[in-house]
Amino acid sequence: MKRHPGPLDFLVVEDEPLISMDIELMVEDAGHRVMATAVALDEVEAIPDDQTPNVALVDMHLARGSFGLEVSDYIRARWPDTIIVFVTANAREIPDDFAGAHGLISKPFSSAGFMAAMQYLEEGICDPPPVSPQPGSFVASKTFAESWER
Amino acid sequence: MIITDPKLPDNPIVFANEAFQKLTGYPRDELLGRNCRFLQGEDTDPDAVDAIRRAIARGEDIALDLLNYRKDGSAFWNALYLSPVKDDQGRIQFFFASQLDVTARIDAHSRVARQKERVEAEVEKRTADLRAALEAQKLLLHEVDHRVKNNMTMIGSILRLQMREIEDPRTVERLRAMMERIDALATVHRRLYQSDNVVRFDIGAYAANLAGDLVQAADDRDIGLVADLKRAEVSPGQASALGLIVNEILTNTIRHSFRPGDSGQIGIHARTEGGRVRLVISDDSTGGTFGDQPPSGLGGIIINRLSRQVATEVTWATDASGTRVDLSINVEAP
Repeated sequence: MKRHPGPLDFLVVEDEPLISMDIELMVEDAGHRVMATAVALDEVEAIPDDQTPNVALVDMHLARGSFGLEVSDYIRARWPDTIIVFVTANAREIPDDFAGAHGLISKPFSSAGFMAAMQYLEEGICDPPPVSPQPGSFVASKTFAESWER
Repeated sequence: MIITDPKLPDNPIVFANEAFQKLTGYPRDELLGRNCRFLQGEDTDPDAVDAIRRAIARGEDIALDLLNYRKDGSAFWNALYLSPVKDDQGRIQFFFASQLDVTARIDAHSRVARQKERVEAEVEKRTADLRAALEAQKLLLHEVDHRVKNNMTMIGSILRLQMREIEDPRTVERLRAMMERIDALATVHRRLYQSDNVVRFDIGAYAANLAGDLVQAADDRDIGLVADLKRAEVSPGQASALGLIVNEILTNTIRHSFRPGDSGQIGIHARTEGGRVRLVISDDSTGGTFGDQPPSGLGGIIINRLSRQVATEVTWATDASGTRVDLSINVEAP
């Protein structure tokens, strides 16, 4: 069942400007839009109310001492339908249940790995369940599969 | 030895031989008529004394080590053996006691016990130190790992951003190959530090992981993947070089064995055979142009030079069913 026509709106939360820009361009290469970027929790809080991301890509260690887990909690509270994917070199800081988030792309990611993860995410969100096998670059939490049942 | 007479008041010594006089330092006239307890002193174990008293009261044998004191006040360990001497009717006539100076043996015992205690305390302390050092090392490892990962991510991002500015297709092609090599190294690093165990690296699982990414990225070709992976662990020192070699083989296969619009299959087989790890990367294409031979240019140089560095033989073979590249990795090479 098709439930989202795409393209998807992405929120990129990453404090390293070059990596953020790189991610932004790859998301666009995959045919989606980046509606906002943020380097810390306060910038996510400042996103206007008329904007709702479909997907949030969230780093763990952010600017001004803010952390990916609190950003994830905030996003879940404000936009309950948003798919949250951690993009981080600190995978071991993510709790086993992903704290309610949907997946993980480990850094350093490869171009191919990142694009494969984009493809899988798109299939899982726009027309679940995904037809592609889950790529090695993407770890899904059980919350992601649960989102297909909604 | 001595003999005491329980029929007399306070069970006094009635006979003491030469050896006993020598052992205790008391002449015979100072021994006879006295109860043996005068040999006890400050550090004599009261429990041992009780045990002797009970044995005498019950008319039983007893053997134990007792701390006694000589006339000059020096202490010695007495291996005492005491037994009653009975008459025909079973009545106790005398007590017979033999003594042996076992101070040397007891001292050695307690020396060993003390030494053991010291060693145990030392071991405990060193274990605690080692545990703390291991914790510190783990923290450091995580920190270094984290920084390396962040830097590799940054290198990838910078390269990708630069690539977007270049228009010349030949240059783009080379930068893309460069990008893939960096990505391959990043994948090696990611897999190597996935756990706390950075001692072994499974080259088969890595190859399947990388191939999955690469075929998915090659969206103008429909390439399936078949993997048959047994344990194929190489040392971390071989991981980066082998990671780059496998990347060159895979990108060469995808790009040159298959043409845009082609569909086909890549097989990855990995296993351990004795001291070698075998990794076979095969394809079922017959139409490709250069897929059946080592790549030219830097790709070929990388395979050639790095395989020698990590004690690996690479052979290429083509027949009607396709091409296979066979890597035989000596995992016991120094």
